[in-house]
Amino acid sequence: MSDPSKDKSDELIHPVARPFLWLDAPWLKSAMIWVFGLLALAFAGVDFFHHRHEYVPFAETYGFYAWWGFASFVAAVMIGWFGIRKFLGREENYWDKESHDD
Amino acid sequence: MIEAFHIEALAHISPAWPVIIGGLIAAIIPNFTLRKALALAVPVMALVLWFNPAAPGTYGIIEFGGFTLETFRYDPLSRIWGLVFIIAAFINAIYGLHEKDRLADTMGMIYAGAGLGAVFAGDLLTLFFFWELTAISSVFLIWGARNNAAYKAGLRYLAIHILSGVLLLAGAVIRASETGSWAFDGTLTIETTGGFLIFLAFGIKCAFPFLHNWLQDAYPKATITGAVVLSAFTTKLAVYALARGYAGTEILIYIGAVMTAFPVFFAVAENDLRKVLAYSLNNQLGFMVVGVGVGTELALNGAAAHAFVHIIYKALLFMSMGAVLLRVGTVKASELGGLFKSMPATAVFCLIGAASISAFPLFSGFVAKALTLAAVAQEGHVLIWFVLIFASAGVLEHSGIKIPYFAFFAHDRGLRVREAPANMLIAMFLAAALCLWFGIFYGNLYEMLPFPEAALYYEPYTFDHIVGQMQLLLGAMFAFTLLVRFGLYPEEKRSENVDFDWIYRRFGDGALRWIWAMMDRLTAAIGNVINAVGRKLGGRMFQAFSPIGALSRDIPSGLLAIWTSALLAVVLLIAYLAP
Repeated sequence: MSDPSKDKSDELIHPVARPFLWLDAPWLKSAMIWVFGLLALAFAGVDFFHHRHEYVPFAETYGFYAWWGFASFVAAVMIGWFGIRKFLGREENYWDKESHDD
Repeated sequence: MIEAFHIEALAHISPAWPVIIGGLIAAIIPNFTLRKALALAVPVMALVLWFNPAAPGTYGIIEFGGFTLETFRYDPLSRIWGLVFIIAAFINAIYGLHEKDRLADTMGMIYAGAGLGAVFAGDLLTLFFFWELTAISSVFLIWGARNNAAYKAGLRYLAIHILSGVLLLAGAVIRASETGSWAFDGTLTIETTGGFLIFLAFGIKCAFPFLHNWLQDAYPKATITGAVVLSAFTTKLAVYALARGYAGTEILIYIGAVMTAFPVFFAVAENDLRKVLAYSLNNQLGFMVVGVGVGTELALNGAAAHAFVHIIYKALLFMSMGAVLLRVGTVKASELGGLFKSMPATAVFCLIGAASISAFPLFSGFVAKALTLAAVAQEGHVLIWFVLIFASAGVLEHSGIKIPYFAFFAHDRGLRVREAPANMLIAMFLAAALCLWFGIFYGNLYEMLPFPEAALYYEPYTFDHIVGQMQLLLGAMFAFTLLVRFGLYPEEKRSENVDFDWIYRRFGDGALRWIWAMMDRLTAAIGNVINAVGRKLGGRMFQAFSPIGALSRDIPSGLLAIWTSALLAVVLLIAYLAP
């Protein structure tokens, strides 16, 4: 995260990007939790007023896609992190170091 | 339906030929501008030929050596693939306008032309010819990076793709010997030896699980333009081949489902953003393969629509990462961040590609993926449907969020570079515009599908579908922000994740080296034994026959007479017993 005041004086920043420097502001990270959280809740809340018709009956349960999306994302990240990176992760020059590859 | 105009004189020319011939001509044109003009012109010529046929049918039949080669089968399935290949060739040509590499220009055109030729091939021999041509021409786009890693990856790539071609030819020959048919159509089946070998050949090019590593190995090491070009043709040609030959083959549903899921985990852990895109490509192919496996009209429409829009948005994502690589010199997530400040237009185009692949409403992925998901659910493959929904959230993770977030936002690394060159921006703009166009005016896409009636019957923008999809995406995005906020999202770090290629690049390589060393030792040991036996035998012979040996001594005549009599007795016995 850069210092926004520094950014304003940074002449190398593209003029088109200048009005959007707030995208780099620290408060945005926290704000996005609320924005996405509330929007997800709002769309999930629609299910309480409107019955979604789905080919798979289980998908008609309240807020199904919201929690499935949440759980899937968390599962993907955790398995990628602890499953792949921890067990299959190697140093960057793994294929280089033993001369017979790359 | 797009109305065709018709020029009889051109009716038998496949759109592949101008592109391939253009590539060959480019090889002898030293002038940069002329070459680039040619690269832009040949897709236009191909488009004219694509529009030309008055009606579906088989054109461009060549009788050769007793074989009938069908070079231009024009039907609803080849039409849509042909069109998107032509669009990709045109956009890629714009993207590569700055690149001064005659070999890349030549091979890029030949590769695109070979892809078109394979799509329009009506028989297995013609398919084989173009199939191998795609392999041989495309490897130069990897070698074009001109470094040792790319050279070796190119060799591995070439080896596996040549193997695919050999399997295709072997399967076709076996099938022809059994049935007398070289037809490339729905009569192919995995129940027969020939059909199974052909299926395996398609599976290699389609990056089936355990056959997939050539993709993640080679694409990230290709040139900037090369990776964009490669992302369009090879794998989607394989999906086309499966749709043509093996639609409704049930095992494809399970293979496809695995393909959608496992790359998600690898993409999360990957630091090289072009490699993330390669895993993402694998995941997207899975959706198409599932569609082919289900094999209903709706499912095949889903596979075709997905392939069409995927080629465009995946190219867009590769283009944006290519622009970053050109300007920054790396696409390692651990080295990037904050680039929206320097490359705002590239960032916006990347976000459009990300939104498309994540299937946000109004973007092309939304209207395409919906067809496959609906078909899977309609046919009662509930478990597979859940896997696909999981994979949809996974797509958002690696291509929707990870790519744009770590390149253009996240931590500002203070990288202040120039925006991408104008030609790259134009190419990205065109691709981005198409992502939005087909997302909004989806009827234009649906009417080109293999079964347009079934497609136009399907309405993607229902209230239920939009609400469901937004729930999925927002639930996943909420998870992302939460994980980042609480430090539960893995930091990007310089690393290499080994995949199934470890089996042949390390274990197989090690095993071969061990076997070689053992063979060396065994040969030496056998040599030693032979030498020892030789020495021993020589010694004995010396003792017997040398001037000082036993046989040189005086032998008593009595003993010699006994031996002569015994020998004579043996001869007499043989003579008596002989018939």
